Amino acid sequence: MSKLAIRGVTRVFPGVRGRAPVKALEPIDLDVADNDFICILGPSGCGKSTLLRIVAGLAEPSAGEVRLDGRAISGPGPDRGMVFQSYTLFPWLTVRGNICFGLNEKGLSKAEQRARADEFIGRVGLTGFEDHFPRQLSGGMQQRTALARALATDPELLLLDEPFGALDNQTRALMQELLLGIWEAHRKTVLFVTHDIDEAIFLATRVVVMSARPGRIKCDIPIALDHPRRYTVKTTPEFAAYKARLTDEIRDEAIRAIALEA
Amino acid sequence: MIRIINSTRPWPGGRPGPARRPPLPFGPVVFAALVAAWWLASVLELAPPFLLPAPDVVFATARDLALDGTLFRHLQVSLLRIAAGFLGATAIALPLAVAFGLWPAFARSLDPLVEFLRHVPPLALIPLLILWLGIGEAQKLAVIILAAFFPIFLNAGTGIAQCDPKLVEVGRVCGLGRAAIVRRIVLPAALPAILVGLRLGFGYSWRALVGAELIAASSGLGYMIVNAENLARTDIVIVGILAIGLLGVALDRVGRILARRMAPWIRSELDLGRA
Repeated sequence: MSKLAIRGVTRVFPGVRGRAPVKALEPIDLDVADNDFICILGPSGCGKSTLLRIVAGLAEPSAGEVRLDGRAISGPGPDRGMVFQSYTLFPWLTVRGNICFGLNEKGLSKAEQRARADEFIGRVGLTGFEDHFPRQLSGGMQQRTALARALATDPELLLLDEPFGALDNQTRALMQELLLGIWEAHRKTVLFVTHDIDEAIFLATRVVVMSARPGRIKCDIPIALDHPRRYTVKTTPEFAAYKARLTDEIRDEAIRAIALEA
Repeated sequence: MIRIINSTRPWPGGRPGPARRPPLPFGPVVFAALVAAWWLASVLELAPPFLLPAPDVVFATARDLALDGTLFRHLQVSLLRIAAGFLGATAIALPLAVAFGLWPAFARSLDPLVEFLRHVPPLALIPLLILWLGIGEAQKLAVIILAAFFPIFLNAGTGIAQCDPKLVEVGRVCGLGRAAIVRRIVLPAALPAILVGLRLGFGYSWRALVGAELIAASSGLGYMIVNAENLARTDIVIVGILAIGLLGVALDRVGRILARRMAPWIRSELDLGRA
């Protein structure tokens, strides 16, 4: 049985001021195996974030259902951790306070929370910054804190919505290595939304390409690059072959997406 | 695993402080120049001493009033009034702002009334308040509460309304219920705006109190001023004005220090809240 099963999920936004309703998602079917790292790749506005929000329980599907470990999802829950694109740390909490935030709900004692937070602070390389407030941190460090916050609750499923989208290229590359290193060491089932082809190939065990709106799954490509992957894999012929294929797939959709916006 | 420690911008002295000040203390210089001009004007007798007593006369009066306890008696009365009224206004305005934020229907039904009251200056209500509540403490308390209520209520409301929905979503993903989201996310997020409102409310109520004491009172700094005016003691009037201004500045400073202690993550928002 698959870890996560998405069955016939659609999403229709009601029409504004008498206009026709907007179909964001065509019926989506997707199965994710335990410890899979799935990258959902698509042009902007294809509904990939909407799909992720439905899995998170933050949005309701118009039809269909999502099952995690066989249980239907009806709302947000601590079995799913999420990292958002924009910085969503609580400015009034320190790095440690932010990471403890979700642990409080798990009924851990203060000492357990602290120990667990510090473990994950170490895992994302922020040791020494426990007592810093978010505004004292760079964008990359803030996203590492957000990642630690999502990981610390030990979710069954980790959902990432373009988490590195706002970072500069160098920081983004380092964050990809950090995330991949954590995944290779500790394994987790990951759903990662991105529009960056290199990022998708580098991180994923499977890349799911979505079409322009209304979003549907256009193709589903397993990435057979060996683990552990190092950044040097990005210059190998195998990587280039995946990139060539995905570039073709995504290019058509990007052109359609632009035509839709015009 | 890779470890990347970016450079950070540490706080000078390890704590967040106010925005860097200009190197030269122009503020005190301007103040001193004003006193010098005042002194010069009285020495040259540009105005009759009855209307503009010399600085040394005013300072001597201030010393006398301080030594015989008059100043502190009036000061204490005014401070007790402001403390009670300000706390009362806060106790009404903050829960109401939360209720407005939580229940839009409630907010919509009360909004016209709030808007109406907002445009009536508290001092314009003093005649009515005197008729209803007399000239005692209840009327002063009502004036202070009316003056402090709106800045506290409106700023808290804005802060609650402007809470980043993404932060609320983080709370929902963590499995927080509605009450926990309000307590652990919405209120802390609104705290900078709430503090701005408290600061504004304090300034409003301080001025309204002195105004109320000018109109109908038998004690307090405002009464001291109006009483001195009737006795043609311009020096006492000026002492009263100086006391009101200096006390307002001092209390505002104390409030800012308390706010920084309570909320070390706030940088500059507090400096915005002046009116």
